[in-house]
Amino acid sequence: MKIVGVAACTVGIAHTYIAQEKLENAGKKAGHEISIETQGTIGTENKLTPQQIQEADIIILAADVKISGRDRFEGKRIIQVATEIAVKSPNKLIEKAEEVVKQKQ
Amino acid sequence: MEISGILNEHTIKTNMNAKSKDEALIELANLLLENEYITDIERFMKDIYAREEIGQTGIGNYIAIPHGKSDFVKKLGVAIGINKSEIPWETMDGNGVKGIILFAVGNDNEGAQNHLKLLSLFARKLGNDEVIEKLLQSEKTEDVKEAFAN
Repeated sequence: MKIVGVAACTVGIAHTYIAQEKLENAGKKAGHEISIETQGTIGTENKLTPQQIQEADIIILAADVKISGRDRFEGKRIIQVATEIAVKSPNKLIEKAEEVVKQKQ
Repeated sequence: MEISGILNEHTIKTNMNAKSKDEALIELANLLLENEYITDIERFMKDIYAREEIGQTGIGNYIAIPHGKSDFVKKLGVAIGINKSEIPWETMDGNGVKGIILFAVGNDNEGAQNHLKLLSLFARKLGNDEVIEKLLQSEKTEDVKEAFAN
């Protein structure tokens, strides 16, 4: 399955990037295509393309602050959690994403 | 860009003997002061504790990442401490902490984009279990650098 998402924490220095790394690793390990955009102090990196978003089965937003460009995901299935959840239990979060996608099919 | 550019052997301490979060933070902040990353330890610590108030910086796996933006940061960098014993800390997995990475980032990052980029790559590494395992086993400064090398 195809997963895209955004990570954004309060200060934008640490949790954002740790969440990105953990989610991407967990997603790949489970056999999915996954790409996480980061919105931090340095600005937006690994920006999702409209095509990536369009093709995604599910969107994971790991954010403690309002993310910019949320409207890009309108009409998509979205899981929203705090960055802490992505850092603490990345595998469970991916499993949850799998369940949500399965249910809606 | 090399992540090692963010590391400074003078702000890395292995075999640290801190008994508490306060002790560990002060020891690491002192390294930042001595090496001219920060200008005022008390006020820098106040900004670090302000971030501690918002939520846990113990990310599990015995690692803590205290950080915050502070006007008293002159130069962006990190101090790393590997403590001999586990210190009580607010963590996501309920365990204590042995590896502490104290981030020093200023409020005004004009012209610091390269360093910020390095710092973000460095932070990513902390989300990697293999890196953390190596880091926690570090006996010497070199081992710490090695943990982040790949």
